[in-house]
Amino acid sequence: MESKREEEFLRYTEPGLLLRFARNQLAALVLILFGMVVILGLLTRTFLTANNIFNVLRAFSWIAIASFGQSIVIIGGGIDLSAGSNMAFSGIVTAMLLVAGYHVVFAVIVGLVATLGVGFLNGLMVSKTKLPPFIATLGTMSIIRGFCYGMTQGWPVRNLPRSFMTLGQTDVGIFVWQVPLPAIFMVIFGVLCYVLLDKTKLGYHTYAVGGNEYAAALAGINTGRVKNIAFTLSGLLAGIGGLLMTARLGVAAPTAAQSYELDIIAAAVIGGISLAGGEGSVWGALIGAAIMQILRNALVLLGFPAYWQPAAIGAVIIGAVMIDMYRKRKI
Amino acid sequence: MRRGKWFVFGVVVVLVWGLLISGLFAEEKKLTFAWIPKALNNPVFELGRDGAFAKAKELTETTDYTVEVLYVGSVASDAAEQVRVIEDVIAKGVDGIGVSCNDPDALVDVINKAVDAGIPVMTWDSDAPNSKRFTYLGVSNYDGGKAAAELLVRYMGEKGKVALLTGVPGAFNLEERIRGFKDVIKNYPGIEIVTTVACYDDINQGVQVVEETMQAYPDLTGWFFVGLWPLFAERGSMPLWEEAAKSGRVKTVAFDTLPVELQYLKEGLLVGLVGQKYWGWGYDTIQMLFDYIVNKKEFPSWTDSGMDIVTIHNVDAMIKAWETSDFTKPLPPPFPKE
Repeated sequence: MESKREEEFLRYTEPGLLLRFARNQLAALVLILFGMVVILGLLTRTFLTANNIFNVLRAFSWIAIASFGQSIVIIGGGIDLSAGSNMAFSGIVTAMLLVAGYHVVFAVIVGLVATLGVGFLNGLMVSKTKLPPFIATLGTMSIIRGFCYGMTQGWPVRNLPRSFMTLGQTDVGIFVWQVPLPAIFMVIFGVLCYVLLDKTKLGYHTYAVGGNEYAAALAGINTGRVKNIAFTLSGLLAGIGGLLMTARLGVAAPTAAQSYELDIIAAAVIGGISLAGGEGSVWGALIGAAIMQILRNALVLLGFPAYWQPAAIGAVIIGAVMIDMYRKRKI
Repeated sequence: MRRGKWFVFGVVVVLVWGLLISGLFAEEKKLTFAWIPKALNNPVFELGRDGAFAKAKELTETTDYTVEVLYVGSVASDAAEQVRVIEDVIAKGVDGIGVSCNDPDALVDVINKAVDAGIPVMTWDSDAPNSKRFTYLGVSNYDGGKAAAELLVRYMGEKGKVALLTGVPGAFNLEERIRGFKDVIKNYPGIEIVTTVACYDDINQGVQVVEETMQAYPDLTGWFFVGLWPLFAERGSMPLWEEAAKSGRVKTVAFDTLPVELQYLKEGLLVGLVGQKYWGWGYDTIQMLFDYIVNKKEFPSWTDSGMDIVTIHNVDAMIKAWETSDFTKPLPPPFPKE
């Protein structure tokens, strides 16, 4: 979203529709996404089948959900490297409780409280001990991964009850489509995060802290509290993403979601969320996650050699961000 | 003052005595072997570790030596980290080292350092051929890939379209399996390898690319999973593959013989498995170290650990071995009536 200042500027200059469209970051991203979809639709017979679309939607839903939390942290001027470990952690805690015979609702709540706690801890370290977020979360990333290995002794936790797996494997009938439940969760959490960032005082404060922490503090904003909430939400949302992934796969592996934090951060960055803080929207993160997954999907459908795929994904990350920067400078 | 001096003297005497006695006992009959896997985060190594502990217990009970296994390693597969671990183990002082090398060349120096320090070293699962290790216990991944291809041809026939799923592209053992597989498939002009997809050792990505490949190639007739990644996921996560496998349209051969895969095989979703003897990685390594040190036994440079080939005909025996944690009995033949 544009800053308030820019909005005011717009009001006075009354630009044309085209210029306004070009100025809108999200519109540019949607255009890139749309272009990819059209090209793939033309090049392959399978891309535009409902089956494939929903497959892709489900595949990036948990990355996107974790990326919403990441976006809040980055907009608030931080970064959360523990997101990938948190995704594995919530899954493992929940899976172990399930295998021990606890009720699904209880296991899920404890799993989420666990990652919420990790997020809160990140927040405390950043706000109270003034550790740089990069260092604090780099530490927790490793600590939590260690817990994942230690608690499971390296073995994946399997044989989870059906009632839990329905969370990730159910399709919900909407009109004529069978939409995967995780994708619906993604939209719900996207709306919630959007409302939080754009319609509440806390959201406004988050942009302010990320934009200029000193100025925000002088303006009377409790910057520590804002950061704390951002990191806690990031932990919680990564946990939710991890749970959905675990439910979909039916297995909680200690190695799950390894290095996903980079995908999660990349989704936010492709989506136009500036790593400098104070700028961007959760919808950008959603589209960023979509672009990356569609690319992966496309490379398989097109039979692109597996060995070259990381190169293609890296090029797209750089390309998308460069287009965004060029757009900003130009207009 | 005087009393204090005597007190200190007394303490020193007791300590020296204690050290001497424990030293005497320890020196005589105790052997400590370090058993070092590639990584602590891979469950197949845990089975090898259990095998190592089982053998140590067995040797302690049946010989007059007390054998202890030190299970250490880097958390993730990392050659530099593994070098550090071995240096620690040398400094600590052990009687022998069995190691699965993360890199054939990176480990040469530290292995030689251990041997020069008087600690015999052998490699298992993954070798460092240019080092002074006394033997290598392992399989040829190339032969494993060939065996997998032969299994697939036997079930799928000599015509069809095959896809490969690998982990991290470039991993030496995986590439060797793929090379072996392709060398056999080459002899069947009716079989086409349509694509090779990678999942970066990640279950989630494995599930994803298998399903995408099923969509991209609806006329696929065979899969070779070079590792078991997507099979760790529960039923229902790969609906397209499951449906095709169940109906018999797609035949799948996979590497490794873990219980999850055995279950898939029993249900007919997989047609064949080729696996290393993980249990033997530990069980046999400790025996070989013991024989080398105590019995002064000579070993050839390469000791073939053999491979388990599991089909519907011998899957029950393999399941039983896992249930009882007893892998000492030989497996029944995969194709009994030939």
